[in-house]
Amino acid sequence: MLVGVQRNRLLLVAAAVGAAAVVAVVLIVVSGSGSSSPATTATTTAAAPSSSLAGIPQHGSTLGQASAPATLVVYEDPQCPFCRSWNVSTLPTVVSQFVRTGKIKLEYRGVVIIGPDSVRGLRAIYAAGKQNKLWNLADALYAHQGAENSGWITNEVILAAARDAHADGKAILADMGSSAVTAELREAQKQATADQLQGTPTFIIERPPALAQPLAVSALDPATFDAALTAALQ
Amino acid sequence: MKLRTAIAVAAVVGGAIATYLTVVHYAHLSPICTSGGCEKVQQSSYAKAGGIPVAVLGLVAYLGVLLTTAVRGVPAALAGAVISLTGVAFSGYLLWAQLARIHAICQWCVGNDIVIAIVAMLCVTRVLTEPEA
Repeated sequence: MLVGVQRNRLLLVAAAVGAAAVVAVVLIVVSGSGSSSPATTATTTAAAPSSSLAGIPQHGSTLGQASAPATLVVYEDPQCPFCRSWNVSTLPTVVSQFVRTGKIKLEYRGVVIIGPDSVRGLRAIYAAGKQNKLWNLADALYAHQGAENSGWITNEVILAAARDAHADGKAILADMGSSAVTAELREAQKQATADQLQGTPTFIIERPPALAQPLAVSALDPATFDAALTAALQ
Repeated sequence: MKLRTAIAVAAVVGGAIATYLTVVHYAHLSPICTSGGCEKVQQSSYAKAGGIPVAVLGLVAYLGVLLTTAVRGVPAALAGAVISLTGVAFSGYLLWAQLARIHAICQWCVGNDIVIAIVAMLCVTRVLTEPEA
């Protein structure tokens, strides 16, 4: 009799597991739907890139005056929705308050975090660096950002982003497979390993002779980020 | 009685985490975070299910489990097990999302994962041992 009761109880547990699985699947289906985008930024609609970079010197992956006493290294993946969010909402403030004023320069380090489309995007971005338009193209690509690894970084998207960035799109397409771009990608990946990169976006402050330090930020909004950057530069 | 008390205590702990995250969500605050990823996780689309913040779903689930501890009998024990096992499955999915899609970890979510796993183990034990009403 006791064995029968125990068997019934085990059947009840199995039924509970089954019911829980069904409910959980429903919850999963109605939740993120496979997107890690912030709710307010997910879009595949092209938008005009920020004009906040106008007039600021660029050299390869560097944005700002070469003489700036500190460098903010920015690790990004062109498919990363939070990188896009930071670029759209916070980069303009960082540029106006810290880069234009000569306090810092920015160094772009593109790394592959999300998948194959990231490689194509990064090749286009580093190819734009040959025209000293890297930051413009990265910004413009974010305006076209699509679903992760959906093949959204087509030649058409790159050409459109190049137009937005006032760069030579055909030259970018031609340079994407160059050994120079490959070398830059490898170097960024090597630096990411050395910096023990955990995800993107990640920010590192370099202020020689002090050792490079990760910029600890609790949020990516302009106010929080500016406060963290100001504190790090003191 | 001891098992029901243990479930209730664990549910209160989990409910406290869910309440905190719910308040943070509706007050548009940044959660206290040492892992650095809470904000990212909170702002991701995974933070809602069907338009409802997952913190609210968690709070409702813990309240449900708590209510089942106030009632004797196998049906109440079974209800608690279904709720908590659902929580475990959904928490596992959210943990995967944090690691594989959002690329950030929220310590509050991990804390909740641990609590809901404990609650589920206790609830299953209760189903197996609850005296017939």
